[in-house]
Amino acid sequence: MAAKTTTMIETHDLSKAFRIAKRRPGLFGGMRSIVDPEMRTVSAVRDLNILVERGEMIGLIGPNGAGKSTTIKMLTGVLVPSSGKVTVAGFDPHRQRRALASHIGVVFGQKTQLWWDLPLIDSLLLLRHLYHVPAERHAENLAHMRAMLDLDEFIHTPVRQLSLGQRMRGDLAAALLHDPELLYLDEPTIGLDVVAKARIREFLLEINRTRGVTVLLTTHDMDDVEALCPRMMIVDHGRKLFDGPVTGIRERFGGERTLIAQIDPADLATLPRGGENQPIIEGLPAGVRQVPAESPQVALAFTRDALPAHELVAWLGARIRLRDVTFEEPDIEDMIRHIYEDGLLLKEEEEAVSVG
Amino acid sequence: MITGITGIISDLSLYRRLIGMQLRTQVQYKVNLAVDIFTYFLVTMLEYMVIFLYFNTFQTLLGWHVGEVALLGAVVSFTFGLAELFGSGLDSFSEIIRRGEFDRILLRPVGALMQVASNEFRMRRLGRMTQGLLMFLFALHLLPALHWTFAKLLMLVFGIASGATIFVAVLLLGATLCFWTVETTELANILTYGGREVMSWPLSVYNRAFQSIFLFVVPLAFGLYMPVCYLLGRPQPLGLPDAAAFLSPLAAALFAAVAYVFWRFGVRRYQSAGG
Ligand SMILES: Nc1ncnc2c1ncn2[C@@H]1O[C@H](COP(=O)(O)OP(=O)(O)O)[C@@H](O)[C@H]1O
Ligand SMILES: [Mg+2]
Repeated sequence: MAAKTTTMIETHDLSKAFRIAKRRPGLFGGMRSIVDPEMRTVSAVRDLNILVERGEMIGLIGPNGAGKSTTIKMLTGVLVPSSGKVTVAGFDPHRQRRALASHIGVVFGQKTQLWWDLPLIDSLLLLRHLYHVPAERHAENLAHMRAMLDLDEFIHTPVRQLSLGQRMRGDLAAALLHDPELLYLDEPTIGLDVVAKARIREFLLEINRTRGVTVLLTTHDMDDVEALCPRMMIVDHGRKLFDGPVTGIRERFGGERTLIAQIDPADLATLPRGGENQPIIEGLPAGVRQVPAESPQVALAFTRDALPAHELVAWLGARIRLRDVTFEEPDIEDMIRHIYEDGLLLKEEEEAVSVG
Repeated sequence: MITGITGIISDLSLYRRLIGMQLRTQVQYKVNLAVDIFTYFLVTMLEYMVIFLYFNTFQTLLGWHVGEVALLGAVVSFTFGLAELFGSGLDSFSEIIRRGEFDRILLRPVGALMQVASNEFRMRRLGRMTQGLLMFLFALHLLPALHWTFAKLLMLVFGIASGATIFVAVLLLGATLCFWTVETTELANILTYGGREVMSWPLSVYNRAFQSIFLFVVPLAFGLYMPVCYLLGRPQPLGLPDAAAFLSPLAAALFAAVAYVFWRFGVRRYQSAGG
């Protein structure tokens, strides 16, 4: 039994470089690729330092190809790191993979661990034997999951016939039946509609609170992180760009938000027209600029320090009649661009150096 | 020691449950399954008929009579069917790798090989086993003089068990190659289907180097052909003593051990799939 410390995950300069053999076609090409491979290296994760305490809920966010999945695979022991150190729940994941497996649950948004052609219940029952869970404990957990995730409406349906949201609920239950201390979720909300997303977020908050399960989730959706995680890490090209609290993150790195206004058709006709026949709003306040939008909409991008959102709405409403307004928050790509452009990353590193 | 034994028992019961999941999937389509098994039976029967075509023209083959070759072919067929059945999961391992499902297998606290082996269970292989069994009975009918002893019965069991083990080990080697590239699945097929074809004829039709390979490198002849020679009372290949056939399980165990070590090596350097 590993000693119970307060640390759940600790990595030190964790890196992974993939050596990819260029494939040659055909049988003999395939054999030649084994004997005499032509190699190319991809650095998927570089010098990553992570420290996660027990009971934390932490988001790993970054665009596609940032190295999120690769990081999870190293933290579970599926992949051997190229260099660096990693400890999870007191285990060395790659060397003690099978021992660690009983302590963690893993959900991949794009891949199910359920038996595709069989009713959901069959998978949930089999998992007891795969994880050697005592019968009573398993029955208790299963009853709990059925209630919390409302599994009963589809528990006898073959997995292949479930909606994505239902399947994800099934997968969450499957990952938690053996009482893991740590739950990894790789893009758990990908492809889900708003209702399904909300339901899954609610469930994750609940198990984190009531069972004390440590949760590490990856996503490229800022909303997931804001809804769930007090703390997040931003990664890009295998590097950590940011590690800290989520509150205020949009203000710091958020770049521009966008106000999208639906203009009353009568007023729309009175507006002057610019290139591509776009209606033009004249005399915009400082820090606000107009960006292209579908008529009859007008889109205004503005920074947080320019003026508060409601003032911009008031300013616009004083000039033209508005049918409706919505705001678009910057996505992770915008934030990362902003981090690079304003040299924010550099500042963080300098801070780290001056502290250390 | 005790934990080792209870470990094996719990692994076996888990294996049975995992296969059970596969069977439950297949019996959802009962008609399909029956047609599948029957088709496979017919195909393998046709394959086997080559033996009778040959003996239609010639009386003997290097001193072997039709009944003897028929019995050899039947035992090989049954053994191969058995290996194909229990090796289905290994046979389709490239699919597991390609679909990224091996990640999931590694995330569970039970052995990877057991999970892979039980990932599929192609019931249609029963078609080949049925064919082998029927032809074995037919061959016995052609060999009224064959005198059975306890040693010969034991040797039959040895041959089938060792032969199936070696065929499965070849599938395991083929599966292991998938850790490096998934484009060489044909390589294992050449060895399994080729090996089955080669084993179905008296070994002396091939040259000595070829015989040695199948005796000592991929020891299909050691594990399967030599026991059959023993029970037919035919001389062993390359002048080996008759009693050497009793070592067939040893040859199979050695070969399987080598394949397993290679597999473990492959698992350790598994690089997962992108995306
Ligand atoms: N098994 C693999 N073999 C080779 N390259 C890989 C593998 N897995 C990921 N990569 C590469 O590593 C980089 C990071 O991928 P990944 O960790 O999947 O990113 P993310 O999950 O953030 O989208 C990508 O360039 C990807 O192509
Ligand atoms: Mg990913």
